[in-house]
Amino acid sequence: MTKTSPQLKIINRLNVFRAEHRLTQEQLAKEIGVTRATIVAIEGGGYNPSLELAFRIVRYFKTDINTIFSVEEETE
Amino acid sequence: MKKIDAILLKIFLYELPILVFYAISIAFFGLETAAKENVYAKVWYDFGGLLIFGSWMAVSICISIRLIMSSSFRCNVLSKITFLKEQDEREVVLTGQAAKTTMLTTLAILIFLFCLSCFQFSVYRIPPEQAVDGKNRVLTLGFDFKLLDDSQQKGSSEDNEKADIISYSALPISSSTVIIGIIGWQIISYNYLMRRAMK
Repeated sequence: MTKTSPQLKIINRLNVFRAEHRLTQEQLAKEIGVTRATIVAIEGGGYNPSLELAFRIVRYFKTDINTIFSVEEETE
Repeated sequence: MKKIDAILLKIFLYELPILVFYAISIAFFGLETAAKENVYAKVWYDFGGLLIFGSWMAVSICISIRLIMSSSFRCNVLSKITFLKEQDEREVVLTGQAAKTTMLTTLAILIFLFCLSCFQFSVYRIPPEQAVDGKNRVLTLGFDFKLLDDSQQKGSSEDNEKADIISYSALPISSSTVIIGIIGWQIISYNYLMRRAMK
């Protein structure tokens, strides 16, 4: 019997932070150097950003990584 | 080197539609016969064949060698043939996924074509005196694998007595057609997968 590690789901509050800073997806994408489609994908949960991009995002919002990104265990 | 690469790539891409037009004029409009009678057709036939096709083939060989050697050139060619340029990390991931799927489907096609090229079967009628239990129809299944192409195949006298009903030995298309098909598949498959993933 092999022990399998639990599935982790990354939750982000990027849309909340973006709304608080009154930014459009296009503006935020331009600020952090990605395409709007990537912002759409991150907010929709379809794409998990790399550590580098995640830090670029939190640095832009002048906060720490746990306030925007958090992890929860996926239940089957 | 980058300048030379850009020039090579431009020649390769811009000559391609002319080459397609040249191939169409040979295949469908009988350019070869028209060239014997008409001076303009002869100029187009000679110009297209010698200059366009010749230079395109030479450039293609150079591009192939550069593609194997240079990774930056590979990225450049990829963005040119797919009309897509990776703009951020997500698109790099999507490119990788599209390339992986394309590679695996191409591998599947190649295995399928390999099986088809090796498999042989035929149904034929033998003379009544050779019939077994009154049955004169024979089905043969075979497997033919050759590392080197040996086109000098001689039929034996026994073969001449057989009347073929159905016969299949290897693919009925040329190796050039197979190669063009695979190149086309690679480009179309990659383009389709990338565009679908980008949506």
